[in-house]
Amino acid sequence: MNKQPMLLDCDTGVDDAVAILLTKHLINLELVAVTTVAGNVELEHTTENTLRVLEFAGMGHVPVYRGAAKPLFCELYTAHHVHGSNGLNNMELPPAKRQAETMPAWDAIYECAKRYAGELTIIAIGPLTNLALAIAKYKELPKLLKRIVLMGGSATGGNVTPAAEFNIYVDPEAADMVFTCGADVTMCGLDVTMASYFTEQELDELAAQGSKQAVFARDVLQNMLKFYRAYGLDGVAFHDPATVLYADNASCFQSERAGIRVETKGKLTRGKTVTDLYSDKQMEHNANIVIGVDREAFLRRVFENIAQYGR
Amino acid sequence: MSNRIPVILDGDPGHDDAIAWALAVSSELLDIRAVTSVCGNQTIEKTTYNAGRVLALIGLDVPLAMGRVKPLVADARVAPSVHGASGLDGPTLPEPKQQPVDKDACTLMAEVLEASEEPVVLVSTGPLTNVATLLLLYPQLKQKIRAIYLMGGGIRYGNWTPAAEFNILVDPEAAEVVFTSGLPITMAGLDVTERALVFPEDFARIRAVGNPVAEVVADWLDFFYDFHRNIGYAGAPVHDAVAVAALIRPEIMTMQDMYVAIETTGDYCRGMTVGDPLNIWQKPANARVILDIDREAFVDLLVEAAEYYGKGGERA
Repeated sequence: MNKQPMLLDCDTGVDDAVAILLTKHLINLELVAVTTVAGNVELEHTTENTLRVLEFAGMGHVPVYRGAAKPLFCELYTAHHVHGSNGLNNMELPPAKRQAETMPAWDAIYECAKRYAGELTIIAIGPLTNLALAIAKYKELPKLLKRIVLMGGSATGGNVTPAAEFNIYVDPEAADMVFTCGADVTMCGLDVTMASYFTEQELDELAAQGSKQAVFARDVLQNMLKFYRAYGLDGVAFHDPATVLYADNASCFQSERAGIRVETKGKLTRGKTVTDLYSDKQMEHNANIVIGVDREAFLRRVFENIAQYGR
Repeated sequence: MSNRIPVILDGDPGHDDAIAWALAVSSELLDIRAVTSVCGNQTIEKTTYNAGRVLALIGLDVPLAMGRVKPLVADARVAPSVHGASGLDGPTLPEPKQQPVDKDACTLMAEVLEASEEPVVLVSTGPLTNVATLLLLYPQLKQKIRAIYLMGGGIRYGNWTPAAEFNILVDPEAAEVVFTSGLPITMAGLDVTERALVFPEDFARIRAVGNPVAEVVADWLDFFYDFHRNIGYAGAPVHDAVAVAALIRPEIMTMQDMYVAIETTGDYCRGMTVGDPLNIWQKPANARVILDIDREAFVDLLVEAAEYYGKGGERA
C-alpha cells in the first residue's frame, strides 16, 4: 500500500456525493477519514448523506466526524435550490448502518494530521469552517499537513454573487484563515471547475456503465444540470469531483502560484477570493491556483474511475 | 458642424488621456465643446497644466476648467510611477495658450449642457469626481447628457489593487454616483484596455507619419511603455483612447450590456467594478461593458488620427 493518506472535508451535496464516489479508486490517495460541515445543506443532512454515500460506495469502514453546524461568524446560507431538500436531489439512498464518530471534526483533523505527520492531504470541498476551527485550536496543524486542496473561490467572477463563489461566501472568515495558515494551499475555484463539466449526454454515457454508482452519479446531478442551463452552461460543473481528481493527480490541470486573500468586509464583494493573478499589483504569493483543465482528459479520468465499480 | 456629436472631454492627463484627446480632435464625428481636468494621475494643478499643454499641442481651442482638488470623499492619490513627476513626463510640450476659465469643472460642464441644443456625450478618462459632482449639483441637466463614455474599472480584475482599477479606486463614491445615475454608460475597463496594446513597432508607424503631434504621441508611447514593459507587458495599454474609440468606432469592439455596481467598502475590494454578466442579481443592465477589441484596427485608428495632424491641424 503506497498510497498517501487523504482526509475529505465535505458538505454532501450532490457533487460532493460524486466526489466521494471518486475517492474509492484514486491512483495516489487513500481516503482515511471524512469530516462533515454545514454548507450546501444543514449539518444533519450533510452528515447523514456522507454516511450513506460512503456505504453506497462500499466505504462504510471510513470513519466520519461531524463538524460545524454554522459558519464562524455569520448565519448559515444554504443551496437547497441546487441540492434538493435533503441535499441529494431528494434521492433516498439506503439509511446508513452506523452513525458519525463522537469526536468532533476539528479534533479528528488534528489527530489524523498527527498520525500521518507530514503526509496528510486534506481535500476540502465545502465551507472551510472545520479547517479554520482546527487551525485555531492546534497552532502546529499547518506544519503537520502535506497540503490542503480546496474547492472554492474564483480568480474572476463568482456564482452565488457576481463576486463570490458559494463555499467561500458561506464562511469568508474561515476561508481567509485557511489561505493564510502557512500550509501548502491549492485553490480549485470556478476558473477550473466550471471548465470541468459534463454534458447531459456525457452523464448518460457515464450511467450506461451500468453500476448503481454510475447511475446514481447521473441521477443525483439532474437538478444541478437544470440549474446551470438557466445560466447558459450546457452541462453540469463537476466542482468537487474535479478538485478530488486534481488532488490525486495534477496531470491534465494547469496551475500557478498566486496571492489569494478573502474579502470579508465588502458590501458587494464579501466572500470574494481576491487574487493577483491578472493584476499589475502583486501580493505575497501564499497559494496555488488551478486555472485550467484539459476537459477531454478529465472526462476520461472520471469514466475510468467510476468504471471500477463494475457493472 | 451640424451632425457632429457634442462632447465634453474630462480627464487627468496623463499619457493615455492625452492620446485619447488627440484621437478625439482628429475625428470628424465629434464636436468638442469643453475640456475639464480632474485629479488622478497627478495633482489637480499638474493635470490642469498638462491639459493646457495638450490642448496647445493638438490645436484644440475650447474652454478648459479645473476640477476639484480631491475626490468626493477619499484623499487624493496619484500615479507618478506610471506618468512621471509632472503627470506627463517625456517629450517637451508647448506651453498652454490659454488659462483655465475662472469657474470650476462642473460649472463649465453645466453651462455647456445648458447651452447645447442636443444632448452631450461626456468622455471621462480619469476618476469620475467631476462627472459625479455635476450629477449631484445639477440633476435637472441629466436629460442633456446623451451618454457617458468612461475609462475605468475592470469586470475580471484590477490593476492598482488586485480588485480595483486606478480611476475607480481613486474615487469610488463618485463612480457609484455615476453608475447609479441611470444614464447610458459605456465602460472601457481593463477587460478591453489591456487588450488594446500598442506595440513598439506600432509606435514607429505613428512616428513615421512625421508631424509634430505624431512625434509627440510616439514619444509618449515610448515613455508609457517603459513602465509597462518593466511589469511584463508586450506593449503599451493605451487605456483612455479606448473610451474615445468606443464613441467613434464601436464596430471594432465586443460589448455586453450588464449590471455593474461599485464596491465602496472592503479590505481588498474597495473601488472594484462588480459586474454581473450572468445576471445573478437579476438587476437591469446599467452599463455597456466593452470586453474585447480588434487590436490592429485600433492601432490603425491611432495612425489615422496621427495623419489628421499632418494636414495642418485645421478642422474641416
